[in-house]
Amino acid sequence: MMENVIELKQVHKSFPNFQVKDLSFSVKKGFVTGFIGGNGVGKSTTIKMLMNLLQPDAGTISIFGMNYNKHEKEIKQRIGFVYDENVFYEQSTMLDMRSIMKSAYAKWDDELFHYYVKEFELPIKQKIKSFSKGMMMKASLALALSHHAELIIMDEPTSGLDPIFRRELLDILHSFMQDGEKTIFFSTHITTDLDRIADYITFIHNGELMFSKEYYQIEEEYAIIKGATELLDRDTEKEFIAIRRSNHGFEALTSNKAQASHLFGDSVLLEKPSLEDIMYYTKKGAEGGAAINT
Amino acid sequence: MLQLIRKDVMLQKNTLLIMLPLLVVYIALNASATILSGVLFTIAITMQAFMLDEKRQIHILFNSLPYTRKEIVTSKYIGVFCFTGLVLLTILIANLVIHGESPTWKELLFILCLTTLFFSFSLPFSYRFKSQYLLFASIGTFAAYLVVINVFIPNLHDLIREVVAFLLAMEQVQLYVLVGCALVIVYILSWLLSIRIYEKKMF
Repeated sequence: MMENVIELKQVHKSFPNFQVKDLSFSVKKGFVTGFIGGNGVGKSTTIKMLMNLLQPDAGTISIFGMNYNKHEKEIKQRIGFVYDENVFYEQSTMLDMRSIMKSAYAKWDDELFHYYVKEFELPIKQKIKSFSKGMMMKASLALALSHHAELIIMDEPTSGLDPIFRRELLDILHSFMQDGEKTIFFSTHITTDLDRIADYITFIHNGELMFSKEYYQIEEEYAIIKGATELLDRDTEKEFIAIRRSNHGFEALTSNKAQASHLFGDSVLLEKPSLEDIMYYTKKGAEGGAAINT
Repeated sequence: MLQLIRKDVMLQKNTLLIMLPLLVVYIALNASATILSGVLFTIAITMQAFMLDEKRQIHILFNSLPYTRKEIVTSKYIGVFCFTGLVLLTILIANLVIHGESPTWKELLFILCLTTLFFSFSLPFSYRFKSQYLLFASIGTFAAYLVVINVFIPNLHDLIREVVAFLLAMEQVQLYVLVGCALVIVYILSWLLSIRIYEKKMF
């Protein structure tokens, strides 16, 4: 039985014009889970609830098997966080922030901090607000990784970073995962990052969970089907999450590759969908019927 | 929680290095208004510390660190006394060095009482709204005060001076205890209210 580091059960959170509905999923210890979805579908809200910056209206959230009501400090001692905005004092330097973080965490490790500072080539006496976006991300990472956190929660860490730095970041995270004891949960809408690092994918849309699966499982279950429009009728359309029609035929996403393959046989082309394909078709499918005409 | 208070003092290092010498200069120039200067300097320094933490991003930072919201609020309420203490100490030493006499303990106590009273109201207000609105609230209060002076009680200033002089001349220990207790209760209620407000905040 694999251990869950994060467990959400039927979490609800309502805002005047948006809500997270009946959200349940778990994050496994020792793996990287990518949290995907479009803009404004509830990713940041969920991350804020995981950090106890927001409290759910209903449902339970447990982290390391504990809840925030009773164990807020114990939980947060074991989490490292990275946000996509600068959450540090404007006038502060890395050294100032180090002393603030150091006094907060029981397991703060100066040696580790200086290792990361050196590795990331960060100027510790320069004001953080003068850092570039990439340096800022490295600074956040150095501060998040220096207290031997077991769980790293990141909100859109790769957004706004150039491709080279995104790769570097993924390498850093990769080496962080080496001992098998650490867990990473991060949201992103740049799904190509996940190909390189994610073991699990949790996908939400409009505040609802679409799925939470192992990466390889998605590849086994989902497929893009391409074929002639004549193949589509009321029965066959039911097989798809959404369909895109064009003059050349149709393109559709199925979550049951085996059945679709059985149904259409050699008359269609089966392709491996990217996460972007899955997000795109799921959004279209949720918006209104399965049909998309282009 | 001690870490949070220490952090506030550390971050105010520069402000303190400017404000406290300024207070000394003020005392050297004008020895009579000890209470007023003490109260104003304490408020200025403490509010500066409060405003620095008022940004949404800083709330996110401290709420993500292993602190509870209760601790974050409590640290501010204790911090008030640290800053008041620093100001009182400066007043005491400056007066002793410059004028060769210390202010009466009653004056110092009076400063403590007034700042306690001020923060009892301004801290929950700042947590609920934002401290920048405190300026508007103060201007409103000041306007009301001017109206009161001009229209209703023309000799309000003299009255206040008399009341202050009367209070400072008081020898009844019981009264001091009573006022002290009342203030402690107001401050504790204010603290509990701020915690309630802050626990419901969303960032």
